[in-house]
Amino acid sequence: MAVVENPTQLPATLADDLDLIAEMTGDFARSYDIEETLRVGLAHISTRMEAEAASLFLMEEGSGELVCRACFGPTDVTGLRLPNGQGIVWRAVSRNATELVQDTRDDPDFAARVDDDTGFRTRSILCAPLSVRDERLGAIELFNKKGGGSFDSDDVRVLQALAASAALALINARQAAAMAERQALSRELALASDIQRAMLPKERCAEFPIHGINLPARGVSGDFFDVVELPGGRLAFAIADVSGKGMNAALLMAKTASLFRCLAKRLDGPGALLQAIDSELAETGSAGMFVTMVAGVLDPATGRVRLANAGHEPPLLCCGARMSRIDEGLPPLGVIPEMFAAGCPESEIDLAGGALYLFTDGLTEADDDGRMLGSLGVERLLTRHRLLPAPERLRAVVAEVAPEGAALKDDLTMLVVEDRRDGPLLRRLYPAVPASLAEVRRAVTGALTAQGLEDSVVGDIILAVDEACQNVVRHAYGGSDSGDMIVELRRKGCELVIDLLDFAAPVDPARVVPRDLDDIRPGGLGTHLIREIMDRVEFLKPPAGAGNLLRMVKGLGNQ
Amino acid sequence: MVVTLEGEIDLQRSPAVRKQLMELMFDSRDVVVDLSGVAYIDSSGIASLVEAYQMARKNNSRFVLAAVSQPAMRVLQLARLDKVFALAETVAAGLKA
Repeated sequence: MAVVENPTQLPATLADDLDLIAEMTGDFARSYDIEETLRVGLAHISTRMEAEAASLFLMEEGSGELVCRACFGPTDVTGLRLPNGQGIVWRAVSRNATELVQDTRDDPDFAARVDDDTGFRTRSILCAPLSVRDERLGAIELFNKKGGGSFDSDDVRVLQALAASAALALINARQAAAMAERQALSRELALASDIQRAMLPKERCAEFPIHGINLPARGVSGDFFDVVELPGGRLAFAIADVSGKGMNAALLMAKTASLFRCLAKRLDGPGALLQAIDSELAETGSAGMFVTMVAGVLDPATGRVRLANAGHEPPLLCCGARMSRIDEGLPPLGVIPEMFAAGCPESEIDLAGGALYLFTDGLTEADDDGRMLGSLGVERLLTRHRLLPAPERLRAVVAEVAPEGAALKDDLTMLVVEDRRDGPLLRRLYPAVPASLAEVRRAVTGALTAQGLEDSVVGDIILAVDEACQNVVRHAYGGSDSGDMIVELRRKGCELVIDLLDFAAPVDPARVVPRDLDDIRPGGLGTHLIREIMDRVEFLKPPAGAGNLLRMVKGLGNQ
Repeated sequence: MVVTLEGEIDLQRSPAVRKQLMELMFDSRDVVVDLSGVAYIDSSGIASLVEAYQMARKNNSRFVLAAVSQPAMRVLQLARLDKVFALAETVAAGLKA
């Protein structure tokens, strides 16, 4: 730009140009219909630059051709397509530079064909590309300066500025449209995810023998698990993983889940169930998609499980410290229907006080310090968290491989089936904070009332449990240090055994003494109340990984 | 004056109860605590009452537990404090005594 003597005084034409740029930028920013705005802008530009005619070309996605989207002047060539490489417009676009052709007769790239078709006589051309960084959007082309002259280098600068502002507006509008589309899609995905979540069984109390957890990698999941109550107290359960991820997998999952729900009550056993689902999927399935699935039936009264496996990760049976894989099974569902036509083999498993774990490959293939976790890794994590009640145990194992906020590579689902015949009346984990105490009292009251104990006995035991929990909250964790505690209630013959486990630093039992009651002081009462109510109170050696284990025993007499 | 305690006085609520009682005792007020609506009270709640009682003795003011509910009485008995506190059958009796 020329050096101006008095910098506060802009030349009249430059001021006009700035006004035009400002006005167009404002129009673009306000506009919802960007192409209509470009048409209006093109008229402004043509008038300002004294062009006889003008065209706006935009690059068409897919074909890569330049298509005329707006015109100004005596001829309208809207819709005209310029295949790659033809004419001055393509030259401006491919060089990404403004082209000034003062006399078309001297330029071999000038395509006279359009003039022949329209009857318009093109003498000179000024063409500026519309581009933002490396993205080429199209070009603005002006024809013939009014009054017979030619465009000059000032015109080049003005059109460049106008084109730059138009290109930015175009990109903004496109990004806004794409964002709106993405938002609509993500709303739909969230809705689908909600519907899927509603298909998973509701979480049961910790004492229920079957618990599951599902973490979808994206909003929707290709995994599922379910539990269906059968006559006679038996429980049918299943875990499945649909090949692929995203919406297709989610739809096939929904179908498989529905089939399981409706067939589980009608068919006898998991083998027949997998056979029926396989034939249904083979008949109506989509090519190349398959489902791996384990189905089973637990009889809580005997602790026995009937199990059938179609291509799924072998379940793990944990009895005490011993773990074994249940390897038997057929290929996935929906692949080779003939294999299931002959029947699907079942395994008969005695839980013997232990637990059966089922999981999708989202767990075994999860990242474990740069390596896949594998089934040995799963065993390691289960051992590490064995003390936790089932729902918290599943959450803790999953949290090890999928910390909150981490992006999952695959859906992750886990199911645990426990033999609870000798199980506690109650086994719950609570954060060791004062706010948990009301919840502890409610849960213990519920379990004791269900045992038919008298209200006065229940009241005393609640007080003792509360006081013991307070000692954990106030003394074991000692204020700033915080953690969890597990309350466990068992009935052994005519005794009620209450175990309170924490994960704090070991407490010296010698320091936990009842206060001298002749000394009337606030505090120190809790331990006295516990000993007054309970028949035996003792600190036991806690299991490895825990902090303190307090056992309180109350004889129930003839209750 | 009459202070009414209601519901479950546990470790979560007892700090607020203690603060309320201490403020009154600090002003050497005669206080009757209505315990008729107490469904549950633990050692931390009892400790607040003990502390208020001790302060009243020091200040020569009165501190009476009135209309003690059955659950609260049970804890007082277990702590052998039923013989320590001044107890009244009703709030009216507590105010008169």
